[in-house]
Amino acid sequence: MLDGQKGKTLKKIDGSWRFSVKWTSFRLDDRLLLILMGMLVGLSSGLAALALNRALVGVFSFLQVLRQYWWAFALPAAGALLSAIFLEKIVKEGAGHGVPDVIESVLRHGGRLRLRSTFSRLVSACLTIGSGGSAGPEAPVVTSGAAIGSNIARLFALNERQRITLVSCGVAGAIASIFNAPIAGMIFAVEVILGEWSALNIIPIAFAAVAGTEISRRLQGNRIVFAHQAFEIGFADILACIGLAVLTAVMSILLTRLLRNLHHLTNRTVPTLWLRAALGGAAVGGIAVLFPDVLGEGYHAIEGMIAGKYSKGIAVVGMMVLAKILATSLTIGSGGSGGIFAPCLVVGSFTGLLWHRLLVYIWPTTTWVGEGCFALIGMAGMISGILQAPLTGIFLIVDITGGYDVILPLILVSAVSTALCRYLEPASFYLRDLIEKGWFLLPGTDGRVLADLRVDELLEKDCIIVHQNMLLREFIQIVKRSHRNHFPVEDALSGHFLGMVHLDDIRPFLFDTIMYDTVILDQVMHREVETAQPNDNLAAILQKMDDKHLFSMPVIQDGRFLGMLSKATLLDQYRKELRVQTDH
Amino acid sequence: MADAFLNWPMEQIAKALDLPTATVDRWIRQGRIPVRRKGLNCMFNRAALEKWAAAHGLHFTPPGPAADQTKTEIPATLVAAMGQGGVHHGIKGNSVDQILRSAVECLAFLKPEAQMELHKGLLERESLASTGIGRGVAVPHPRAPLTGVITSPTITTCFLQTPLAYGAVDEKPVFVLFVLVSKTIQEHLRLLSRLSYCLRNDEFNRFLKTVPAAEALLGRVGEFERQLDLGEHEH
Repeated sequence: MLDGQKGKTLKKIDGSWRFSVKWTSFRLDDRLLLILMGMLVGLSSGLAALALNRALVGVFSFLQVLRQYWWAFALPAAGALLSAIFLEKIVKEGAGHGVPDVIESVLRHGGRLRLRSTFSRLVSACLTIGSGGSAGPEAPVVTSGAAIGSNIARLFALNERQRITLVSCGVAGAIASIFNAPIAGMIFAVEVILGEWSALNIIPIAFAAVAGTEISRRLQGNRIVFAHQAFEIGFADILACIGLAVLTAVMSILLTRLLRNLHHLTNRTVPTLWLRAALGGAAVGGIAVLFPDVLGEGYHAIEGMIAGKYSKGIAVVGMMVLAKILATSLTIGSGGSGGIFAPCLVVGSFTGLLWHRLLVYIWPTTTWVGEGCFALIGMAGMISGILQAPLTGIFLIVDITGGYDVILPLILVSAVSTALCRYLEPASFYLRDLIEKGWFLLPGTDGRVLADLRVDELLEKDCIIVHQNMLLREFIQIVKRSHRNHFPVEDALSGHFLGMVHLDDIRPFLFDTIMYDTVILDQVMHREVETAQPNDNLAAILQKMDDKHLFSMPVIQDGRFLGMLSKATLLDQYRKELRVQTDH
Repeated sequence: MADAFLNWPMEQIAKALDLPTATVDRWIRQGRIPVRRKGLNCMFNRAALEKWAAAHGLHFTPPGPAADQTKTEIPATLVAAMGQGGVHHGIKGNSVDQILRSAVECLAFLKPEAQMELHKGLLERESLASTGIGRGVAVPHPRAPLTGVITSPTITTCFLQTPLAYGAVDEKPVFVLFVLVSKTIQEHLRLLSRLSYCLRNDEFNRFLKTVPAAEALLGRVGEFERQLDLGEHEH
């Protein structure tokens, strides 16, 4: 029975190998292969992004007729409820926006993502956002695109580095397609998802972004998401933008903290997942009774603001900012599915508008550039602040507004907003959980090298094992033959590790022949030694060594001695690992 | 041929790169090394791997036949070295210089020039400190090993006709010389250590005093050496 099973697995392994072998025999150059794969991934994730976008528009407008009824607040509740049940019970994936999962997979699991992730978040986001939940479709398409890249890499038996590149290609293709923004797609993939810049990655990502954008243009036309007229920006406007940067930074921090706190609060107070999501959805529906613009992704509102057609006064705009922040925190914090990208853009544009109204109120005589311009710059400030990724903020806005004319204030606001947010919140919204768990380990850093190296790669197995009943005379014969100063002592009968003898321990008796037959190792060995386990974290072992001023440590598994771990070998392997990891 | 792919087991690649197999395995999985898995083995382009190794401060040195030879070479035994050198009786001479000259002439396998050279080397070493190690025994040897002249190490045993004051540590006159000539320092130290194991034994010293014939001497040394080998392999 067991044999049969074994044979089956072997056959299975053999089969999968055969597939890769067949492939490798006419394998293209690795770089060319990666570029072609990148284009394929960009196309597929671009299609997935378009599908979600179309579905969202469809569901949202289908439900539009129902929104005039008094019970319309229950719509987001129902959507969030269904989305939570779908994620939890059917596809068994965690709620939330999913981007940190992609980053975690890139950093820790070599870009492995599940096949079902290619569609799961598209469905749940469609339910949450289509029903009116305040969240964006970008994070779900990013997750989906990343999963597409990862699974295509798996299909062709690519290695982890290539898989990570394809994951980023999927991300770039998705963002490029959904915003018709190739540069933003590339920059987001590199700055936020990968965290490192290397030519090896950027080239396939560029191809993926082009493919994703092109498929989007073919299928829904080459339109700029938020088109606008040219703005004439004066010196006063640029100065005023610094104030806007501060305001967007404050809003970013507010949104980040509210998202987290509401998440913890709802987790504590409402233990049932679906009930939590439904209550969150109902609350959003309640807010929408007063401020209907908070519903959904909210791009419609942005278009109005950039065109300068949003007529509400300063108080309403101020409340809109807070209402959107609250609605987003409720939707995502309570377990709805969707991203913070679109809400950030909405909050950013309202913040820009608010700032413009304030300026006009304080200095009514100065001529300011149109309010649309401030809405635009506010979006960049908000994105840069919350993601702590200034380049993504700048290029996304340039791409989606087609506005190179506002580049100077854009750069300024993005930089100032990022700097302020970084000062107040050391980790960005995406990375915070990863950093708290100690999982944010970029390649080529100390933490990553130590995390990648395993204890069994460092074991020195040339130690001669001795027994506790051995006479000093016998031991000296062993010392003669050994290359090392450490000798592990095992129990003569059970073979269990007892302790260590160091050459220094017997040095005083080394030339005293009378002691040779009178001393046994039991009398000179150390029983209280620090030991390590083969599965221990290397950073923790090193910390222990530093604390106790040790240069080496025995590694023990199930009471058996496996080998020695020494700083000398570690340095050797550490350097090799570092050189290999920092190679681009 | 530059594009030829080699197909090796992973352990062999790891050994050639002087890395743990687990590291090579992980690097292949992570795509950090230009090696691909192929079935149970790994496939790589040798030139590409060598270039990669050089760029990362590693060395790709496959275990070739030359490396194997040095590993499998069996170190010379004391008996073999003594047999090679021969046992000579009745060596004449009134001074260290003369006695060493006579002893060197016993090394018939050396050419006259090499003998001259060796004699000079031996005298030089004696001037540094006497090689008389006590109990009437001296082990003259040159300071530097003789490379290129001999193929295997030799110990030439020379019993003197009349014991000679040699400046030994215990100031006893020397009656036997073991002229030790080797190719490398390691060989020299190994043979010297084995010889000294015999000479430390009182019974062996008494036996030496009887000025034994070649066969008897080698037989006795052989017994000691077997004990020594047994001790080394015991653990």
